[in-house]
Amino acid sequence: MIATVVGSYPKIPNKPRPARLRNAINKLDRGQITQEELDQVAGEVTIEVLQEHADAGLDLVTDGQIRWDDEQTYLARGLEGVSIGGLIRWFDTNMYYRQPAVEAAVTWREPITVRDYSFAVEHSAKPVKAVLTGPYTLARLSVDHHYHAVDALALAFAEALNQEARALQDAGASLIQFNEPAILRFKDDYTAFAAACGRVTDGLSAETALYLYFGDAEGIYPQILDLPFDLIGLDFVMGPQNEALLKRTPFTKKLGLGIIDARNTRLESPDDIAGKIRTLGDGIDPDRIHVSPSAGLEFLPREVAQEKLRRLASGVRQAEGVPA
Amino acid sequence: MTTGLVTTTVGSFPKPPYLQKARNQFAAGKLPREELDELEKQATREVIALQEEIGLDILVDGEMARGDMVVYFAEHLEGMEVGGLVRSYGNRYYHKPIVKDVLRWTEPITVDLWRYAQSLTEKPVKGMLTGPYTMVEWSFLEGYDTFRQAVLEMAKAINYEALELDRAGAPFIQIDEPALSTRLEDIELAIEAMAIATEGVNAKTGTHICYGDFVSAYPRFFDMPVKQFDLEMANSSHELVELLKTKGFPEDKEIAWGVVDVHSHVIESVDDVVSEIKRGLDVLPPERLYIDPDCGFKTRTWDESAAKLRVIMEGVHKVRAELGIE
Ligand SMILES: [Zn+2]
Repeated sequence: MIATVVGSYPKIPNKPRPARLRNAINKLDRGQITQEELDQVAGEVTIEVLQEHADAGLDLVTDGQIRWDDEQTYLARGLEGVSIGGLIRWFDTNMYYRQPAVEAAVTWREPITVRDYSFAVEHSAKPVKAVLTGPYTLARLSVDHHYHAVDALALAFAEALNQEARALQDAGASLIQFNEPAILRFKDDYTAFAAACGRVTDGLSAETALYLYFGDAEGIYPQILDLPFDLIGLDFVMGPQNEALLKRTPFTKKLGLGIIDARNTRLESPDDIAGKIRTLGDGIDPDRIHVSPSAGLEFLPREVAQEKLRRLASGVRQAEGVPA
Repeated sequence: MTTGLVTTTVGSFPKPPYLQKARNQFAAGKLPREELDELEKQATREVIALQEEIGLDILVDGEMARGDMVVYFAEHLEGMEVGGLVRSYGNRYYHKPIVKDVLRWTEPITVDLWRYAQSLTEKPVKGMLTGPYTMVEWSFLEGYDTFRQAVLEMAKAINYEALELDRAGAPFIQIDEPALSTRLEDIELAIEAMAIATEGVNAKTGTHICYGDFVSAYPRFFDMPVKQFDLEMANSSHELVELLKTKGFPEDKEIAWGVVDVHSHVIESVDDVVSEIKRGLDVLPPERLYIDPDCGFKTRTWDESAAKLRVIMEGVHKVRAELGIE
């Protein structure tokens, strides 16, 4: 069984630890440091985050998306044909993102996340997975001044992200994950979503994962089992109905169990976590289960996120029957 | 006072730079509480003077003591705690509150500053509260098993505060529920909570909710037990106005029609305001149609806020003259 995360992690700790990244960005804005100096700080913070992930006992980590302004813009900024617009609420969270505006054909020019991925691998004690926001979610949350159709725009993003994924694969990524929360809110778009999934994974030999959070898969399950991913992660916190879906139709892929609440500070106990894993993973080979929070952890204060990860890892070990 | 197109604002005003600086110093432990209190009062005087000068009908205290509309109440309610830093966007972080334990109202929170603001003017000053649904939805939740339980308990706490404002003489109490915008599917819970929050309150009540899919929530949304709905109409869909026109709006209720966009630096023209007011008059008679900006002014500068209010006032005067009600 693999204890892991979904992607993001809080960028700054609370007092007495210094908010280094926040301070560095402020200094950059005031012209007191250079972009290179900011990059240096972001790298140091990433190393710290990788260390926290490893210390918590995770088996598979991410770079915490420390350099990402949000789940939309970091990728959108790197693509041709997309500009960055105003602030919009990220689903029903209290976090805002800058909305990408598609002005011309979406084109991939050069790797966007490969340097970050390689940096993380170099500094991580644990294996690292590459995480991208999926093409459908990018399309759904953008303003479209060019394609005028979400299916066409999703395919264009899929084509671009497929090249990004190939570049990650060439850099050694053995697991590439696509986060697609938007499809759970717009299930009527399933055909467009499935087409984009096919395009984005086309020709990849690395393992691929699809993470769906902020809701349940009612209405698109079991169809999602036909999508070309090796692993599918589901949110059992905001989507408690997912449990019934799994009972109705057996899960045939590797299963991502999102069972720690990534959006609330209430701490789960390792006992409860182990119990949930046993119930939800019943009948599934433990080697094919990845356990994680329900979504990225950036909605929480840093110390709470870290404590949740510790408990997550210890719950996983308990479910495996490993003495603590 | 006029008999129609009463003007007001949604609640918050920008903090003058000296107050912003003082708040930072206070947070860093470098300024005593009493000095901050004095500066909050000074800013309140300026906010009242500005509204008087522009000629608004129903004033607000501008919320000079409040940083965030949820955090401010969280700091004063028993059972709530101000948590660690969470990012809201870009490089901006805030201390997201936590409903940590059983909620209890222990003492008046907003009454002193409301009373002070009211002492400065002959015009009515609105009491401004954050609604129970928003208080819980925008906080972490640890102290209750269910969201619903927490919202209903929060409603009791907010009710105590509303009753205190009522007793102090506030003629109008606005209880804002912006969190409902993104989750109109929770309308039943919000209605139940608002009924508790306004119970026994004699003052006129209202609520402000930012943008939202009011078309889907129609007509249930207007069963919220308040007299006045303060809505962001300048950016609202044509569909909503049509719906209100054809299917109607409760006879005993009012709309405060947000006619300028507070999220834009651009100052609207008087003509823009006039045509927006007329859209409102297609739905409601002037006695039940209030005119205001579409949200709080927190994100605008002092000068932008004043300019937008002047344009509103000019537009209102023009339409009132046309209607012969001035
Ligand atoms: Zn608003």
